[in-house]
Amino acid sequence: MALAIQRTKPAELQSSPNEPVAIEANQLNIYYGKFRAVRDLNLSVPARKITAMIGPSGCGKSTVLRSFNRMNDLVAIAHTEGEVLFQKHNIYAPEVDPVEVRRRIGMVFQKPNPFPKSIYDNIAWGARINGFKGNMDELVERSLRQAALWDDVKEKLHQSALGLSGGQQQRLCIARTIATQPEIILMDEPCSALDPIATLKIEDLMRELASNYTIIIVTHSMQQAARVSDFTAFFMVDEQRAGHLVEYGPTKGLFTNPKDQRTEDYITGRFG
Amino acid sequence: MNNTLLENSTQWMKSDPQNSKRTLQRHKLIDRIATALMSLAALLLVLVLLSVIGILLYRGLSTISWKFLTTAGTFTEIGGGIGPQIFVSVYILFLSLLFTTPLGVGAAIYLAEYAKPGRLTTAIRFSTETLASVPSIVFGIFGAIVFLTVMGLGYSVLSGALTLTLLNLPLMVRIAEDAIRAVPNAYREASLALAGTQWETIRKIILPAALPGIITAIVLTGGRIIGETAPLILTTGTTISPNAQYSLNPFQTGETLAVHIWVLKIVGVPGLKDAQKVADGTAAVLLLIVLIVNVGAAYLSQRLQKNLRGAR
Repeated sequence: MALAIQRTKPAELQSSPNEPVAIEANQLNIYYGKFRAVRDLNLSVPARKITAMIGPSGCGKSTVLRSFNRMNDLVAIAHTEGEVLFQKHNIYAPEVDPVEVRRRIGMVFQKPNPFPKSIYDNIAWGARINGFKGNMDELVERSLRQAALWDDVKEKLHQSALGLSGGQQQRLCIARTIATQPEIILMDEPCSALDPIATLKIEDLMRELASNYTIIIVTHSMQQAARVSDFTAFFMVDEQRAGHLVEYGPTKGLFTNPKDQRTEDYITGRFG
Repeated sequence: MNNTLLENSTQWMKSDPQNSKRTLQRHKLIDRIATALMSLAALLLVLVLLSVIGILLYRGLSTISWKFLTTAGTFTEIGGGIGPQIFVSVYILFLSLLFTTPLGVGAAIYLAEYAKPGRLTTAIRFSTETLASVPSIVFGIFGAIVFLTVMGLGYSVLSGALTLTLLNLPLMVRIAEDAIRAVPNAYREASLALAGTQWETIRKIILPAALPGIITAIVLTGGRIIGETAPLILTTGTTISPNAQYSLNPFQTGETLAVHIWVLKIVGVPGLKDAQKVADGTAAVLLLIVLIVNVGAAYLSQRLQKNLRGAR
């Protein structure tokens, strides 16, 4: 019975019909050594929307997120089968340079990780190494404004970023990512180290950024997914502990009227 | 003493209050003895350090004068100078660090950032550890064979600097590798996620963050270079030609401060009447140089660390 359910395709919205697609996983399998962490993922993420990936711990949602900008390359034993299509190109094709992928697809991490440099240099760093030739002061200001951090830091641009609060540091990390002008921003539980007020600020910021960027966020908080995202993907693990997609669709629908019993059990707090 | 506490204690304490009181007192006593012993050890360490510095300076300071520091010793005059020896020491220090630092930091970067676990890495690490425990005079013999005879460099400052480079590389690699590994992985991830290449990440993020540790490695290596005698006696020699004092020619023979002390104390310099006094003065100078370098490096490293931690 359980197996039969798992073999069914994730309910609804394999590809969101009327939305332009930003990135798309195609029969994606991710292994750590022999262990299959993600199984047969088909998921297409709409452009300029916020898509949340939720599910219990170990369901592979972070692994999937990190596969979208090839951060899993850093894990020596990780290996990927299938495709991740970005603008119709498979980013795992042999001729693709992962550095180029990450230039187009940025990432914000769980724990704010500004460099031990000044606020200014944190923003300028990515732009500099990517050959930005324009007005750096302007870029720094624009990025900080977009990240709603400008007013907090405009007086102390040349002080260390490590002197900022956790929430400010995370907004700095978002500003730093924006400064390299990616098309997609991946966020790996960006608020899990922050207090509720800082969390709300980041969520507001995400809503604002969604008009220009595709945002994919992994979150442990269902409330956050419900508050902030347009689409939600629910992941689970099977008997072999392989993570897979259970249900995917518009957030409102998924939370008010889940198609899959397991989704309902999870969002009503019956497990996980 | 504190009865309320005892009365509120666990069941087994209540059942035998007399015994548990004794146990508590015994534990407190052991705790006090341990604290006293550790403090004593720390105090002893400070005393030893202070007495080393005190005795050496007491015996040597009277010899030190501007003339002593800046002129060469002569056989006819009492007092002797160590100017050329200071020069050779600094020259060998500089040359050897010039070779050791890039090689050592380069190898450390390779081991920490590029090497994949496997046989080659294990072999490199094992040979580094082994080399680190080889006595320095064995390196002296090796240097004498390779640099003096095979490469034909003869007794020279260059042979000595190269020998000390081999001697110090393992230490440099180990400390620098530890420093690089201690850089939080979050910095690497952040840099790569901003489309940094591995080299940009290493050069602009990891090395600056590891710099305080690398400075420690350089200072420790430098201290060993300044203090080394045996391998230098075998490769650089024990004399400074009167025609080549303060010469930058690396193919000249040389004599460092440490070797000078050994010569004065053990070999003896014919005609020099105050050899003991000169040796004491030289030892004091050596000690002062090491102290100044260490304090300076500690200051620099602390400032860098403060910057990294985010103080203004």
